[in-house]
Amino acid sequence: MDDGTSQYYFTASMESGKTLCSLLKAIQFQEATVFCALPDGLKLTVEEGKCVQASAYVPAENFTEYNVRDDVDIIFKISLAVLSECLNIFGSCEESSLKMYYKGEGSPLLLVLQPLSMYNVMTDCEISTQTADSILELQDEDSAEVAMLVVKAPALLALLADIEKSSDVIELNLSPEHPNVTIVTYGMLDKSCIDLPKSSEMVQSFRCEKAVTLKYQLHHIRLIMKALAISTKAILRCSSNGLLLLQLKLEREDQKQMFSEFYIVPLLDD
Amino acid sequence: MSKGKAYRGGERDIILKVLSFFEKEIQKETYGPRLGEIYERELIISVGQNRDSDSTELETYIENDLCVGMKFRAVMMDSGPMREFSNIVTTISKLSKESVLRIADDKLYFIVCDESSGPTPLVLWCEIPQRIFFAEYQMVGLDNEHKDIYLGMNSGNLAKLLGTLKTAKSLKMKLTKKQCPCLTLEIESASSTSQQTRNVTHDIPVIVIPRKVWPELQEPKTPEPDISIELPLLKQLRTTIDRMKTMATEVVLWASAEGRLTLQIKTDMAKVSTRFKELRVEAFGGPIEHSDSEPESQVNEDTSKLCYCRVDAKKFSMFLSADQISHNKTVCKMVHKKLVILCLETEQDVKLQCFISGIVY
Repeated sequence: MDDGTSQYYFTASMESGKTLCSLLKAIQFQEATVFCALPDGLKLTVEEGKCVQASAYVPAENFTEYNVRDDVDIIFKISLAVLSECLNIFGSCEESSLKMYYKGEGSPLLLVLQPLSMYNVMTDCEISTQTADSILELQDEDSAEVAMLVVKAPALLALLADIEKSSDVIELNLSPEHPNVTIVTYGMLDKSCIDLPKSSEMVQSFRCEKAVTLKYQLHHIRLIMKALAISTKAILRCSSNGLLLLQLKLEREDQKQMFSEFYIVPLLDD
Repeated sequence: MSKGKAYRGGERDIILKVLSFFEKEIQKETYGPRLGEIYERELIISVGQNRDSDSTELETYIENDLCVGMKFRAVMMDSGPMREFSNIVTTISKLSKESVLRIADDKLYFIVCDESSGPTPLVLWCEIPQRIFFAEYQMVGLDNEHKDIYLGMNSGNLAKLLGTLKTAKSLKMKLTKKQCPCLTLEIESASSTSQQTRNVTHDIPVIVIPRKVWPELQEPKTPEPDISIELPLLKQLRTTIDRMKTMATEVVLWASAEGRLTLQIKTDMAKVSTRFKELRVEAFGGPIEHSDSEPESQVNEDTSKLCYCRVDAKKFSMFLSADQISHNKTVCKMVHKKLVILCLETEQDVKLQCFISGIVY
């Protein structure tokens, strides 16, 4: 067969779709996602009201086979709910191999799934695709990074879980002085602070040149919790315009890594 | 009876728990329109030696013109059958709030009717041979021509009560007359703190179904199925259907004489097909005639060996909850486009049949 893959814009296969599925579930707070097959990996992006942008990034090395045509942009919109239901069609406790095919603009994304423990069953899915909307470019080249914090993801998750849900706003105070990081939330009558000095066991690295106070909607911050639950390491980056970037690393049993990324727009003082 | 007697520590806690359970139940449960009336439950708790004597039970007649002389009393002693019985009733209660219990000489039947009855009003037919399940079994019907007893009841209530059987030593079921006809369950459980046993009596109000309705409650005569094919593992099938039903309300079942079963959904968003192969085909009545206006058929397959039926995904998933019953054989019978019958048999000769009518546009 001559150049069998060239009739497809994109093909990929994976031995187990389970990790991919849990990664997608972690960013599944919007129905539609922009599916983008880059030469070095797969990227799916969702946006919440132009305030939060979350991406799942699966480097090509996670696939046993990964081919994209380099002369075209492979980008389309797809239902994330349908995609994750399809990946999960044999249930969450079943490991199943996954193949993906995409023929070209306007054609559906094809998935073929086969559970590893059963030989006599397979599922094929045709998920319809649409032209992608433009994705917000949140990263501003002119804004410098003012603070960077590397923490263990499970510890950060436990910390966020402790925060009172009724609070609307979360305040992040970052400073080169002790206690480096303070997380403040306001309740009806109270204010609560969590101090996180860089000497803390959960902090792996901390960098901050000058003190800065940033406010975010707690609801937005809480969107990262699902992703934190499956990740090992979290990197928080604040830029001078207040934009928060969270990069989460998910390590698979076989040492391969997948990532998720959240841009969160700050609240402005009124 | 030892009502009101002061119980020792551990025992009392358990009784209080039981009592509060019932308080909640009584507050929240009312019957649907078919059974008509709000019921009351009577709770009697007795401990160990102070049990009611059994001698008067068979004299407990239903003093109703309709059913003078009916008697029913059955006892289960082994945990295996009790668990099985509980699983069966739980499955039935998931299908419908109300069910009919038909008590015959050799078998117990559970019958569930579709509330919006169409061409196949029965949705479930379950036969339980009494000999394997019950240590004692006595019943007397109306008269020689009407030997059976038909009782309408809330199967959810029965399922909940049977759920408490896990630690029980014995279960006694009998037909009694309280404020209304009741199916009375006496559950004897071992006490965790003493040698004595604990008896809890539950009364489930029932409706004695009049003879004129009986003909509607017979085993449905279905058309000869076009295909009978072995089903894959029910648990696996159910997981897949449950994923599919989040995406679509209807699922198309394809069965081929070559041993393939395909579940397919189609929406604007996606088309998903799960194919099982190498399933045993028990019977095939083909060839099947297909018209042109049909859903897109399978690729590369001889359509004359293929039949399909479009069914409600939720209903299908509910029927698959029967995977809780430990079964040794499940078969899917299909009447092309019209009907799917799921049959389940257990080692104890329990037969369960679910009827799902096809959706035809």
